[in-house]
Amino acid sequence: MVMPDTVYGAALLSLIDFFLSMVMISGIGVVLALFPLLNRLGRVDEAALRKSSH
Amino acid sequence: MQEQLVSFLSALMDQTGLAHFWWGNLVMIAIGCVMIYLAVAKRYEPLLLVGIGFSCIISNVPGSDLIQPGGLFNYAYQGVALLIVPPLIFFGVGAMTDFAPMIANPKLVILGAAAHLGIFVALIGAKLLGFTLNEAGAIGIIGGADGPMAIFVTMKLAPHLLPQISVAAYSYMALMPLIQPPVMKLLTTREERLIRMKQSRQVTRLEKIAFPIVIGVIVNLFFPPVAPLITMLMLGNLFREVLVVDRLAKTAANDLMNVIIICLTVAIGSTMSADSFLTVDTLLIVGLGLVAFVFGTASGVIGAKVMNLFLAEKINPLLGSAGIASVPIAARVSHIVALREDKENYLIYHAMGPNLAGVFGTAISGGIMLALLGVK
Repeated sequence: MVMPDTVYGAALLSLIDFFLSMVMISGIGVVLALFPLLNRLGRVDEAALRKSSH
Repeated sequence: MQEQLVSFLSALMDQTGLAHFWWGNLVMIAIGCVMIYLAVAKRYEPLLLVGIGFSCIISNVPGSDLIQPGGLFNYAYQGVALLIVPPLIFFGVGAMTDFAPMIANPKLVILGAAAHLGIFVALIGAKLLGFTLNEAGAIGIIGGADGPMAIFVTMKLAPHLLPQISVAAYSYMALMPLIQPPVMKLLTTREERLIRMKQSRQVTRLEKIAFPIVIGVIVNLFFPPVAPLITMLMLGNLFREVLVVDRLAKTAANDLMNVIIICLTVAIGSTMSADSFLTVDTLLIVGLGLVAFVFGTASGVIGAKVMNLFLAEKINPLLGSAGIASVPIAARVSHIVALREDKENYLIYHAMGPNLAGVFGTAISGGIMLALLGVK
């Protein structure tokens, strides 16, 4: 979809972009809200990682 | 003999830059000097302004080979034009940044989008002022307050506006501590500014390692046009968080970043020749950039107030303005404005959440814009 090069096109582009940005960033928020579940998989030994740092 | 001498001197004159020097060059050299003065005397963004100021001066000395094809400044500009420099900046930023505040408080992530209304106000404003839609899109992205993203989108939409847009974006980022507080105070009551945030949860190493991988996949899946930037941001962050490649993380965050900053500043300054910079369009773009920052700040604060209508535990609306991407300047402004009301209200950690989300918000807005304009 290509927007018409007019003020109407600019307004339409802004409206769609703002709305989709809100939806997508909310989606990222939802994914991040699930992150604590990762900790059920186990834990990372930070001390061991630091020891083997290159 | 006299004729020969005049002819010889005339030919010599033509080979120097003097014959092509006009008052516009003098103005731009003065602007370059002011930039260096601000960097040295006032400490305004010295890492950026010294290089930009110097190359601006040199690019306005007619005849300088450095900005001609084959010249070193021109090669630096090719790094920007070929979109190599902006992703590398994000790579370094990723290696410097702890995303834990964003992971710990996902509900504040929405402020990263709310604070971007300024992009669209500037976009429509630019169109009303007669710019093409592609140019208006590039001008609007100044409101994202994200230098590399502004450069990236501009190079895709309107490369001829790079000097104006990059200078406006970086200048306003430096001026955010002056631009944002009046807007924030105007839109909040003292009671709202006094709201204290609950301490965030601890983010584990596993979450920190998973974050760049998950976001890297999401961004490449949904936003291919801007994926190079965010992917490199995430690679830098992965180097930082895995803890086993400290050398690489430190190189990305320090040495490489410094080299890239030199290239970027020289490239931007070298495009600021009087012929292309001293135009009415430049004034319009600078004005629209200010409008974008003011509206972005306002929409972020209003977004936080709207969230408070639905939240049992209220958030401090000053966090909203941090949703403008400029990391960490916008977060610091929220923190300082809150501290002025209550000396023990430390908002910096909480403000970093929306601030980091703002980077993604700008990238998402830019990606959608490029897709809607049919640019890959």
